[in-house]
Parts: sequence; C-alpha cells; structure tokens
Amino acid sequence: MKKMYSNKAVIAVLVGPGLLLFAFAVLAPIILSIYYGFTNSTGMGSYDFVGMKNYKELIHDEAFFISIRNSALLALGFICIQHPIAMVTAYILDRLGGRAEHFFRCVFFIPNVISVAVIAYLWKFIYNPDFGLLNNIIKFFGGEGKVNWLGQDIAIWSVLIVLIWHGFGWGMLIYYTGIKNIDPTLYEAASIDGAGSVQTFFGITLPLMKPVIQVNVTMALISALKQMETVYLLTNGGPGNATQFTANYLYQQAFRAFKYGYGNAIGVVFIILCVVLTVITNKVFEDRDLKEEKKLNKISMRKEAI
Amino acid sequence: MKKKIVSMIATMALVATTFAGCGSGSASNADTAAADSSEDAATETASDGEEITLKLFSNLPDRKNGQGLVEQTIVDAYMAEHPNVTIEVETLDEEAYKTKFKAYSMDEMPDIVSIWGQPSFLDEVLDAGLLAELNTADYADYDFVEGSLDGFMKDGKLYGLPRNTDVAAFYYNQKIFEDNGWTVPETYDDLLALAKDMQAKGVTPLAMDGGDGWPLAVYLTDVLYKLTGSDYANIVTNALETGDFSDPAFTKAAQLLQDSAAAGLFQTGFDTQDYGTAQNLFTNGQAAMYYMGSWDASMALNQDIPEEVRTNIRMFTMPQIEGGATSATDITAWNGGGYAVAAGSENLDQAKDFLNYMYLPENLSKIGWENGVGMSAQDESDFMTGNETELQMQFVDAVGAATGLSGTTMNDRGTSAFKTAIETSIQNMSNGSMTVEDFLSNIASSIE
Repeated sequence: MKKMYSNKAVIAVLVGPGLLLFAFAVLAPIILSIYYGFTNSTGMGSYDFVGMKNYKELIHDEAFFISIRNSALLALGFICIQHPIAMVTAYILDRLGGRAEHFFRCVFFIPNVISVAVIAYLWKFIYNPDFGLLNNIIKFFGGEGKVNWLGQDIAIWSVLIVLIWHGFGWGMLIYYTGIKNIDPTLYEAASIDGAGSVQTFFGITLPLMKPVIQVNVTMALISALKQMETVYLLTNGGPGNATQFTANYLYQQAFRAFKYGYGNAIGVVFIILCVVLTVITNKVFEDRDLKEEKKLNKISMRKEAI
Repeated sequence: MKKKIVSMIATMALVATTFAGCGSGSASNADTAAADSSEDAATETASDGEEITLKLFSNLPDRKNGQGLVEQTIVDAYMAEHPNVTIEVETLDEEAYKTKFKAYSMDEMPDIVSIWGQPSFLDEVLDAGLLAELNTADYADYDFVEGSLDGFMKDGKLYGLPRNTDVAAFYYNQKIFEDNGWTVPETYDDLLALAKDMQAKGVTPLAMDGGDGWPLAVYLTDVLYKLTGSDYANIVTNALETGDFSDPAFTKAAQLLQDSAAAGLFQTGFDTQDYGTAQNLFTNGQAAMYYMGSWDASMALNQDIPEEVRTNIRMFTMPQIEGGATSATDITAWNGGGYAVAAGSENLDQAKDFLNYMYLPENLSKIGWENGVGMSAQDESDFMTGNETELQMQFVDAVGAATGLSGTTMNDRGTSAFKTAIETSIQNMSNGSMTVEDFLSNIASSIE
C-alpha cells in the first residue's frame, strides 16, 4: 500500500480532481480577474487595455477606503466583542450540563439557521424609525423614540451589531466543540486542587483552546472582509457609502455601474488583502507557538541541568 | 502491486464509460422525444410550421398584478393564437435583472428582453451590438406618443420600443387632507409650510424611497426641471459632456432638496428605507403624501390596500418654484422601460412578430390601461372605458394638459457609472452629511 501511494501515477489520479477543481474554480477566475483589472471592460462587448488606470483610480476612491475601514471595524468587532463573548458562553454552556446545555446550545445557534434575507428584513423592521421595535421600546420608557438607527452617523454601528449577533452562533459552536475536546480529567484535577471557575477558565480552558482560537480568528477576519449579503440587503452600503463593504462595493461597481474592469481591480486588491491578512495571523500564532516551545525546551533543559 | 493499479485504473475507466453511456443514452432519448412531439405538433398545426420556443426575459416578477399581469396576459394570448410557438418567461426584479442581463450578454441572450431607453442602460448595450434593429415603418400605425421613441434610437436606427410614459407625482391621501383642512400646495413654499403643519399634527408629510437613490434623483430632476424648463435637457447634456456642473440651477435644485429634507418633508430615515417600506407608510395611512412615478397609480386598484386609503389616493405634480422657468402644466415625464429583440436570436422573425404583437395598441396599451398600470407610450384615448379610477384620470389630464415634458431624468442621462455615483451621493447630500458643492463635484468626477 505504501508503495502504491508513492507511485506518481496514483498520486496524480488521486490529487487530480481536487487540483482541477481548484484550478478552474479558484485559480482561473483569479487570473481572469487580474487580466480584466487592466482593462476598461464594461462586461459586454469589446474593451481596451488601460494599464494601471483602474488601480490609480482606486487609490483616490474614497468609497473604497470607507469600505476597507468598515471591514476592519467589523473584524475588530468580531475579534474583540463577538469571540470573547462566544468563548465565555461556550465555557458556561459546557459547565451547565444536562438539558439546559442542550436547550441553550440550540437557542444560541438559531440566528445562524435563519436565512440571511430574513435576518436582514427582521433587523430592517427592528431599526425602522417609525414603527420599529427599538424606537417603540424607547417610547415605552418615556423617550421620544425618533432615533434614525440606520442614519448617516450610526448606521455602521447598527449594521455591525447585526453582523456580530448573526455570526455569534458559529463562533460559539466551534469554541464549544473545542472545549468538549479538552480532557475532563484536567478539570477534575483542577477542582481537587481547589481552583475556582475563573481560575479553571484561564488556567486550563484558554491555553488548551489556542488552536481553536487560531482557526476562529482567521475565519472571523476572512468573513469580515467577505461580508456582502447582509449589508446588501440591509442598507446596500447606504446612506451614501456609510455602510459600504468591500465585496458589496465591488458588486456595485462591476454590475451596477458597468465598470467591470474597475470591479476586477477591486477584486485583485481584495484578494491581496485577504492573503496578506491570513499570512499575518498565521505568523502571529506561529511565533507564539514557537516561542512557547522554546520556553518549554529551556525549562526542560534547566531541569535536566539540575 | 502494479496489477492493483492497473485494475484500479481499469475500474475507473469502466465507471467513466458507464456514466458516459448513461449521459449519451438519456440525451438520445430526449432527442427522440423532442422529435416525436414536434412531429405531433406538425400534424396538428400543419399550416403554422415548426415548433418554436421564444424566451422572454422580463423585469416584472409579479405576474398577478400590474404590469406583470399585462405582460403575461399578452404572452398567453399570443401562444393561444400561435400554437406552434412556446414562450418561456424568465423574470427578475430590476437590479437582479440588469445583472443577469449582463451575464446573458456573453452567451445566449433571450429572444425578447426588457430594456430601458436611457443612455445609462442602453449605451453599453448598443455598443456591444446586442439588440436587433427594428423597422421604423412597421410602427407607423402604432400611435406612439410624439418623441417617445427617441430614447430607443441610435444614429437614426430604432432598437427598442417604449412601454410606458412615466410621470413623477406626489400621491396624497385625500381623506387625511380633507380631515385636516389641507389643500394641494401650489408653490414649493406652500409644500414646505404644509409639511410643517403635518409634522405639528403628528402626520408624516411625505413618504420617500430614499434607500434606492433613484427616486431622490427623480425628485431632483423634478425640481431642476421646474427651475429650468425647456433648457433642462440642454443644461444636463452639457454638464454631462463637459463634466462641469457649475450651472447655478444645479446648486439651487440640490440645495432645495437638502433644505426640504432638513425641514422634515420626508419621513425619518428616508435615506435608507426601501420602496416597499416607503409605500407602506403611505398605504397604511401613516404618511399623507408619497413621491413616486405614475406606475404606482395601480395602488388605486390594489385590493391589498385598505379601502379607506385606496379610494382616497389622488395626485399632484411638482408645485411651482419661485424663480422657476415653467408653468404649472410643465411636468416631469419620460419614457423609460420597454422591450427589444436580441440581435443573436435564432428565431429573429418570430421574435419580432411577437414584439409587434405585444405593441398592437389593443394589447399593451389597452390591457395596461384596463389594469390601471399607468400611462402607456401609445395614444390611449380610444380605450377609455368610463370606469377609470379618479387617480388614473388625473394622470391622463396631467399629460393631456401638459405644455412641456422633461424627458429622461437626470440620473439616467449619463453613463451607468454616473447613475451609480449620483444615486449614491444623493443620499448623503439630501440627509445633509455632504454639502451641495461636494455632491456636484462628486457626480462630476464620475464622468470620464
């Protein structure tokens, strides 16, 4: 069997389908995108090469930078707000046990099961200034209740809340499985030693969850950059470009403004950004792993020396 | 070991051929089935010739109400008259339609398509040579309204036909007006004063679909047209050619829009609310007025709207603006949507035949009129039934009495890049987060 796996023909047969899929579904479109990024194509008919013109235009495009800023804000929101809460919730769920655990696990995951379109319209109604839930609550407590939740200055925060709320279930579920994989004997040992909940969390759960956190953070970053459907349905980037996100802006330019070449240029910059960010996050986590390994090595070396 | 590999590959090959066999088998089955049915049809309708399938790609997804119902009625009638012709209808709403239209432009454009006779849509489409030329002489007896074909022509050749005459209008709830002793405003100042009064009484003055951007652009056009009158087209065309929007009329119109929004003419959050939400605000009786095109005149026949509101919907056009160059009977109206035949159609003659059938005055125009979908681009005076809603008659009168029509709205006069730019920044400008100067320089910079 080992011999068979080292046979090049077999390797080719086994790897081939996946490789072809990758080449035609991912690689080829990227190459085409790069190609079209240098043209003034409208998506129909003939087009000319315009060199770096699209990219030069992109540098001065305010809306593009707003969309990048919003993606960054969303990524920060995911990492600093959504994930800590998701992790703590997962931890509490795990400690809860029994029926309650099952019940709350389901409840927290419900937003993820509902279609994005429904979510967007649900929140559209919650935010509606005339008959929305939020303003009615404010009115109930004696306020004026005239807040324009999707207005120019606060729209982005309202949108972020929806996105963070909507993605919460996934993050929690992954953390939850991570926690479930931790050897329960460790917790037993900790409780015998008299460690409290907080101590157990920081001493056992958190360190052992590192690989899960790494996966989750990378996924959060990518999904923040890729955000499209909820924003498209909720505000379509408006008012103006206040809640614009990169993917939505790309769509708008390529398919509504008929600037297909420009849209592709945005796409190329977008891909580069995604790759760079992924590499950076991997580096960050890798370095820590290495450092800690070194630390452990040092300790064991010292022990040996003693 | 080698044997194993060989047998593995052999197995795979076998599997592959099996699948291939399946594929070709089913394909040939389908072929014979198709041949059978066409033979049947041929014997049944020998005189009508071979089976033809036409594809109609339309931007009217609602086939049970309004314009979509009209279209479907005509499609069904045509198929009944031509048993050998099958028309497959595919529908998507406007934005999704335009996206898929573009995908189709690369390959297999449907035979008959919805189009817009405006530079922002049609220029790119005609440059790509996607639409078939139509014979102008065919339509001599079709009673098209003077000038309505202009937007569908290029270099003297006709590429499409207009479906509607669209009029920008302020719909208002007559009952709310009467109950409060309000009257239709004659000047723009009256309108703003009225809005103040409405706010004081806790009524939302005007429901505006600002989330889409284009209704705001129509509003801006409406104001601009009232200010500039017959110069409107020249001023906009000039600005679009030179990229210079310094004409004081632009500043004044934009400023007026910004001030109106600041004065609370529109509902709170108008800049992000969509079409349905704005319309609901009006049809629920929460807002006293609603700004939209004449196609929404079918509200008066829509059974989903409470009767109390439905029967009380009336309209007026943009009131006179101080310093404006128009009279009260100059209105903002244009011929937007329409149909065309794809240049690459395999059944070009049949497709054109269907198009011509659709536009027979007793079809689109008459059926449309009976369904209250607003004004067609053809003369409708022969089709008056006497059962028209009062709202419909108001539109007929407004167009009939019009001393001037604006033509295509500002946002649709430029490229689609210009359209996107103006429809985006107009939200910022009207909610006050962008100055009028920045707005004008912003839309100017979208012109290459």
